[in-house]
Amino acid sequence: MNNNEKPSTVSADTSKEVKQASSKQLIAIIFILALATKMFLQPLFLIKSAGRDAYIALAIDGTFDLIVLVITLFAMKLSPNRDFFELTRCVFGKVGSRIIVGFFGLYLFFKLNVAVSETVAFYSKNILTDLDTTLLILILLLFLVGVALHSLRAMTRLNELLTPVIVICLVLLITIVAATGFDLANIFPTMRHPREFGITLSRHMTWLGDFSPLLLFLGRTEMKKSTLPLSVTAGALGTAVSVFFSIVMCAAFGNITSMVDASTNLSSILQYSLGNVYGRIDLVSEILWSVASFIQNALFFYCTVRCFEYVIGKPFHLATSLGVSVLLFTSLTVMFKDPEILNAVIVSEITSGLVASFAVTMSVIALVCALIIKRRETKGGQNQDKSAKALRSSE
Amino acid sequence: MKITQRKKLIIIQAVLFVFAFVIAFMPSTATRNREVNRRVIVEIVGIDGTEEGVELTAQYEMPTESEGSTSKDEITVKAKTVPEAAEMLNTSLGRRAELGHCSMVIMGEGALPEHISALITATDITADVYLAAAKEKASELVSKLTEFMKSTGATDADFIAYGAKKSHIATNTLLGFLSDLGSKSETAFAPVVEMIEADKGSGGSGSGGGGQSGSSGSESGGGSGGDSGGGGGDTGMKVEKLALYGKDGRVGLLDSTAARGVAWASSPVGNGVIASGDVTGRLIKKKSRIEVDGKNKAATVKIKASVDTHSIQDIESGETDLKKVFADEIKRELESGYNDALELGKDPMFILREMYRYTPDAVEDSSISDIKVRFSVDVTVK
Repeated sequence: MNNNEKPSTVSADTSKEVKQASSKQLIAIIFILALATKMFLQPLFLIKSAGRDAYIALAIDGTFDLIVLVITLFAMKLSPNRDFFELTRCVFGKVGSRIIVGFFGLYLFFKLNVAVSETVAFYSKNILTDLDTTLLILILLLFLVGVALHSLRAMTRLNELLTPVIVICLVLLITIVAATGFDLANIFPTMRHPREFGITLSRHMTWLGDFSPLLLFLGRTEMKKSTLPLSVTAGALGTAVSVFFSIVMCAAFGNITSMVDASTNLSSILQYSLGNVYGRIDLVSEILWSVASFIQNALFFYCTVRCFEYVIGKPFHLATSLGVSVLLFTSLTVMFKDPEILNAVIVSEITSGLVASFAVTMSVIALVCALIIKRRETKGGQNQDKSAKALRSSE
Repeated sequence: MKITQRKKLIIIQAVLFVFAFVIAFMPSTATRNREVNRRVIVEIVGIDGTEEGVELTAQYEMPTESEGSTSKDEITVKAKTVPEAAEMLNTSLGRRAELGHCSMVIMGEGALPEHISALITATDITADVYLAAAKEKASELVSKLTEFMKSTGATDADFIAYGAKKSHIATNTLLGFLSDLGSKSETAFAPVVEMIEADKGSGGSGSGGGGQSGSSGSESGGGSGGDSGGGGGDTGMKVEKLALYGKDGRVGLLDSTAARGVAWASSPVGNGVIASGDVTGRLIKKKSRIEVDGKNKAATVKIKASVDTHSIQDIESGETDLKKVFADEIKRELESGYNDALELGKDPMFILREMYRYTPDAVEDSSISDIKVRFSVDVTVK
């Protein structure tokens, strides 16, 4: 257990807590979160529903997430020393805070289910076809528990280490697309079916909230003057890359939307106009996606565990991690054993609306709390100044 | 003794290292080439539609126990569906057939587009694999190719990739084929691969197969030809014709001139040879685009070509207007490609698709025969 990372209820003075993520690490993780599911997975669902206009839907979703990111970053800036748990406790009290964090934990747990099930589906259909899916989930859970036992610092360091690999893979893939004369004009004509497009938007908001785990970076991240603009740039850049790849996928599958499936070796579409003269160079994109999705899964798992720990009030990392693992294992192997059930849940309007609401609300709560506390502190400071002046004048 | 956090970390790292070491040197890991030896690598898949379903012919490399040696052969299985046939390959060969390294799929005369969809979605064959067509049965062509490759020592199906890069032939990939077919043009094509038989003496003794029938002297043979002679009388391969497909399967073949015409408009490759009469030049760059006028339902196929006449010097008269000669030849090929395809009711230059992209309302219910098409060719001679 890391002593630097006790939840606020047990931490005597969180303001003295050592910063667990540097400004650079925060920027790196924002870039990865902007890519993880949006780059390959979300476009699949969007293309099935909106056809060649899927990239527009993704751009709208990406913009929504960027707004949430900006709200979260402002909260971070306003609250450099208090974490999310402490902020909510100061404003809503112990019980109110636990209720809010409890709901946040449940929201993250749902997002975790979606992210892990998609990762498992991708691996079991494309790479580890001979491995039993249950065993695959267990191996992944082992990795996730390992991450949750460590601090946020370990998580961000791991990400910092892997980010260059992802950037190299991205550059390589973008070069392939640019060099092969990909028929990007196949994304036209646009908006031929506006009604379907509207339905797509309303039913695919489950994918929003990729930046929600950043709320746990509040008060634990080094905030420099340049952190905010650079973080927004990283998020915008990651979103732009995701939209670019979704344009490529829309161009490839625009005429044959029924062909889009996770079992299709979808990464090979990146060089389909080139032909397979360079062998399995498409595997690069699988490496890229794998690394990004593992980071995202790990971050969602870590945040879920920390939220539940806060609600329980005990910093039992191992016990809580194992508890969340058991819940996740059960939901994936019992409730969502049939991927169609999970897909139906994901694309339902109710789930979609709830996820979008949570994504915004949680960040807004953090910002409002940070503003209230900042105001209180400023007032407190002014009152102290006034009393000091009064004391001096009376003397 | 109190174990500190740091010591714990060192212990965990040591345990992990030992674990990795044990895994790396386990007997099963050390002899992991057996895993490779338990598989066969499928290089070419031929697909034929039959009354009962589908016939899949796979050319494969089978690794053998002796170091570095393989054996190339082919096998044909019949089943009701493509996934079933792919599964049968494993049982028929007694090893797992690895389809992920397949470099070419050949469609026989009776193969259907849904067979290609099934190959992508239900097997490990990737969407970027090259697609070719057999004049008749794919199984026969795969068999001949296997014999030829065994006799010449050719190791894979690179010849089509060579053609895609260096020759003026219209190539396609599996996903490209399906995407074209799903477009407004509802047309797709695949280059027809044929064997050059020695006894007919129709060329093929040099590399590239040397332009058998096209008046333009195309270099469509693609580099795998040779003079080795073996392979049951086949001395090389040629890729001259183009098979056209609609949603219900093959609709016909385009001859070499028409096929070259389609390649001008629909293939991104800018290499190859262009010839007219006794004048020959090497194409060094090509740009093609289609200008559309939705209001008047008209389109112009514009080609810009740079031709180098120095590398292949065959000019007798300095008076010849080379630009016009080459431009006329290209235009003739383009018109041939367009008209021959129109007779089959198809649009392999994707003129309708282009119009639908930019003026969708104007051509929503139109067919290619409703569009007025003209060709404009601009040649630069170097």
